[in-house]
Amino acid sequence: MAALLDVQDLNLRFPIGGGLFRKPLTLHALTDVSFTVEEGETLAIVGESGSGKTTLGYAISGLLTPSSGHIRFGEALSGAVEDRPVQLVFQDPFSALDPRMMVGDIVAEPLRLAGVPNKERQERAETVLGQVGLNAESAQRYPHEFSGGQRQRIAIARALIADPKLIVADEPLSALDVSIQSQVLNLLNKIKRERSISYLFISHDLGVVHHLADRVIVLYLGRIMEIASREHLFATPSHPYTQALMRSVPRIGRGRRQPGQSLKGEIPTPLAPPPGCVFHTRCPKAQDVCREAVPVLEPAPGRPGQMSACHFKD
Amino acid sequence: MMIAAPASVAEIQDAHSQASGAATPLLRVQDLTIAFPAAVGREAEVVSSISYEIGAGEALGVVGESGCGKTMTSLALMGLLPPAAQVDGAIWFDGRDLTKLSARAWRSHRGRDAAMVFQEPMTAMNPVMRVGDQIAEVLVRHEGMSKRDGFSRAVQLLASVHIPSPERRAQDYPHQLSGGMRQRAMIAMALACRPKLLVADEPTTALDVTVQAQILDLMLELQEQHGTAIQFISHNLAVVSEIAHRIMVMYSGRIVEYASVGDLFANPLHPYTQGLIKTLPEMGQPGSDLYTIPGTIGGKRPPGCRFSNRCPLADAGCRQAEPALREVAPRHYVACHKVN
Amino acid sequence: MLRYTLTRIGQAVLVLLVMTVLLFLLINLMPGDPVDNMLEGNPSLTAASAAQIRELYGAGVPLPVRYWNWITAAVQGDFGYSSIYFRPVAEVLGPALGQTLKLMVATLVLSVPLALLLGSLASLRPGGLMDNLISFFAFASISLPNFWLSLILIIVFAVQLGWLPASGTPLETNPPIWLEVRHLVLPVLVLTMFFVGPLVRYVRASMIETLSSDFVRTARSKGLSEPQIIIRHALRNALIPMVTVLALGFGGLFSGSLVVETIFGVLGMGKMIFDAIRYVDFNLALIGLLLATLVTLISNLLADLAYAWLDPRISLK
Ligand SMILES: Nc1ncnc2c1ncn2[C@@H]1O[C@H](COP(=O)(O)OP(=O)(O)OP(=O)(O)O)[C@@H](O)[C@H]1O
Ligand SMILES: Nc1ncnc2c1ncn2[C@@H]1O[C@H](COP(=O)(O)OP(=O)(O)OP(=O)(O)O)[C@@H](O)[C@H]1O
Ligand code: SF4
Ligand SMILES: [Mg+2]
Ligand SMILES: [Mg+2]
Repeated sequence: MAALLDVQDLNLRFPIGGGLFRKPLTLHALTDVSFTVEEGETLAIVGESGSGKTTLGYAISGLLTPSSGHIRFGEALSGAVEDRPVQLVFQDPFSALDPRMMVGDIVAEPLRLAGVPNKERQERAETVLGQVGLNAESAQRYPHEFSGGQRQRIAIARALIADPKLIVADEPLSALDVSIQSQVLNLLNKIKRERSISYLFISHDLGVVHHLADRVIVLYLGRIMEIASREHLFATPSHPYTQALMRSVPRIGRGRRQPGQSLKGEIPTPLAPPPGCVFHTRCPKAQDVCREAVPVLEPAPGRPGQMSACHFKD
Repeated sequence: MMIAAPASVAEIQDAHSQASGAATPLLRVQDLTIAFPAAVGREAEVVSSISYEIGAGEALGVVGESGCGKTMTSLALMGLLPPAAQVDGAIWFDGRDLTKLSARAWRSHRGRDAAMVFQEPMTAMNPVMRVGDQIAEVLVRHEGMSKRDGFSRAVQLLASVHIPSPERRAQDYPHQLSGGMRQRAMIAMALACRPKLLVADEPTTALDVTVQAQILDLMLELQEQHGTAIQFISHNLAVVSEIAHRIMVMYSGRIVEYASVGDLFANPLHPYTQGLIKTLPEMGQPGSDLYTIPGTIGGKRPPGCRFSNRCPLADAGCRQAEPALREVAPRHYVACHKVN
Repeated sequence: MLRYTLTRIGQAVLVLLVMTVLLFLLINLMPGDPVDNMLEGNPSLTAASAAQIRELYGAGVPLPVRYWNWITAAVQGDFGYSSIYFRPVAEVLGPALGQTLKLMVATLVLSVPLALLLGSLASLRPGGLMDNLISFFAFASISLPNFWLSLILIIVFAVQLGWLPASGTPLETNPPIWLEVRHLVLPVLVLTMFFVGPLVRYVRASMIETLSSDFVRTARSKGLSEPQIIIRHALRNALIPMVTVLALGFGGLFSGSLVVETIFGVLGMGKMIFDAIRYVDFNLALIGLLLATLVTLISNLLADLAYAWLDPRISLK
């Protein structure tokens, strides 16, 4: 498999505040992020709120410009018909669609921007609507006539129409009810089977990630804590943060929870990330070295494919 | 078709008193119906004749999809329903029927006998009032404390929900606290007067998993300390299963299944409950297609069983009569024609 | 807070400076020449003295230089002479500003509490009888023309009943306070009616929104009584956006007082500025308009400070 996307040492900082006479603060949204996405692969990004998941998705889609580092698209993406090699699906199915546009036009918009003639646009819009399980007449209706799950299908259809190799989906399920989530999840799976598409799947729901992802990146305060295949990550999490995340996820069939296993404290502000390992303020394993030296993302002992940034990785 | 049949309510009562040995539970909701004035495209009854109970110190979990009536049920316990809502049935709490309370009696019930924690920690607190003052207010109201004493008690309460440097946090305004801390402060506020019942409406939905785990731990800890009964609402089965003793599954304003956590997961009987459990991604093989409950939520209610238009087992009988909530195994209640 | 205040004051000074330039330009573009006007009004002026006056007024000097001369003098407190009152501008405008401020402050003191009371009452049961009555009152207050209301009040209270004087200023040179108050009653009443309507509507809308917010529900869940909820929780939050409306309204009040001042014969700012422009009195018009700007700027400044004081979320910025 060839690398579809190659991200190297990506840094993204936001200047915050500042005025006429005041120096702006710097918010470190992403720090030294490197990874690749292979063709046909689903790479999941997990992490708590504010960890930089959306920022990363935006940077890859070209909606945000990195402060430094590279985002390179591989061979497979360079000759794409339509200019943007990446399509985005957003979290909120209610605000992501223009309420004054007909669904057919919404779905066909990427083609219109690419200058595809009207007739072909309409045909392709109907085809793709069919692929996401909506009938052709939906094209003539407006977003408000659809439920949340259906709207998310519309958003996915819009992302699919330009035949992208990579779809960045930013929490596409979190606004949906459980019984609808599984429908959309199945749809994403079906598309993947049929098209050999790659997903960058952003989520904070480890259950969904376990179901969909081939590999997983764990982000914390804008840094990669761990990156591993799904099997390794869930079977033998290496980083203390990943381990804590796994313990925090509620599961059915365990009975009432045993208190005292949850992680202490809260995610620090990205305006002043802790020195050394950014996780040391909450880490149960932290020692002096963690407060001083930034741990390097390296393979876990005996598992070359599983990289973890921790001085005391398992 | 209602479950108003006195027999079934008595059954519930009996079963509980046998199980817990208590004469009457702390809370007994009897045929509670909540309706709004009719309007086009909307069902008038948002909660239809539901009956359940919570024993002292018991945690009841309520799950169900968006719009099934979870919030309305909780608001009814607090007398906080919108003015347009019409309430029918009885809510027995500590020997009194809450539906008969005067406005004044409601006010002394709220915050003292029963307290509530809401979903949105960001908007649930007054943005222009110090956190300590907001907590002290309950104590001034119900315990007759002075503002000063209330404030120092608030600091202790903040400490008891493990907020670091509680003296400083009491002086802060809500926007200066993180979401998790705000929810802790809300819990401190709710538990200030040691209520017998805590109603928590999706208290962790807006929080991150690690913070959610902390809040769940905190609620368990406090419940064990004070023996507070909890009605815990969530759309997340897993969250509810970790905190509740018993679970009540709601669908479209009705209770469809009501059982202990163990029974519900070991032996889910209602097709809707079965579907909910089967759709969970953690239940399937990675990459395989997950089970889906057909249809969409929030449409028009079909005649007969309200789940009949999405149910894989539905037959003509289901589309005719609404099934009653029956006890099919000891303290395991189901409302489905197809369950024996 | 201090930094915030200083920044705001700095901004206000900057705006004032820009306004001096703009106003100076505008006034100099006004049709008519003050000296011609004076000549017209006084045929006994000789050609020589006319030329002298022209020079005094700076004819032939380029505009930027004139501006510079004027602003340096003005900064030192020399605002020049009024060509229609034949007195220093400061002496003319001082008392006028006093009169107008008296009117405006009295109006504010009356209408703000009234608006809070009526708006809150109306918000308690939207669509109820009280709400309808109050909304009708607000509607009337917004739609009744000032001059019409003034005339009615004068006819009823001054002419027919004879309870109150029809003029806004006492004739005596040093009137006792009570007399002044008596003279102010009618004009203040009219201005209050003019001012209070939109405010009531605003308070009502803002309160309805606040009363349905999550934190009010939290307050209810604590067992607080309705008055406690309204006064301690809702009102302060509803007031925050009100501050801006008040500040904007204050500017409107300034111009609204023009009509009232004219009808009730109050020698206030409105009348001064009007006369100054009408009879092409450069110096008076310039300073009068600047004063009006200053009052608006100060009211906006106070609004910003009140905002920061009412809303703890602001002071962080
Ligand atoms: N346009 C922006 N300007 C300034 N700061 C920003 C901007 N966008 C994001 N941030 C900050 O960057 C950090 C990362 O934000 P991001 O939205 O990527 O997080 P996330 O992981 O997607 O969180 P969530 O789960 O809440 O969506 C946050 O601290 C956020 O406040
Ligand atoms: N003021 C109201 N007037 C009429 N109907 C209402 C009103 N408030 C809520 N409803 C309806 O009552 C039903 C139950 O709402 P409720 O808020 O209890 O749902 P819920 O189970 O809490 O859902 P969610 O998970 O989305 O919070 C919904 O169908 C809703 O549309
Ligand atoms: S490096 Fe240290 S602080 Fe960071 S995760 Fe590992 S043990 Fe914890
Ligand atoms: Mg995000
Ligand atoms: Mg709800």
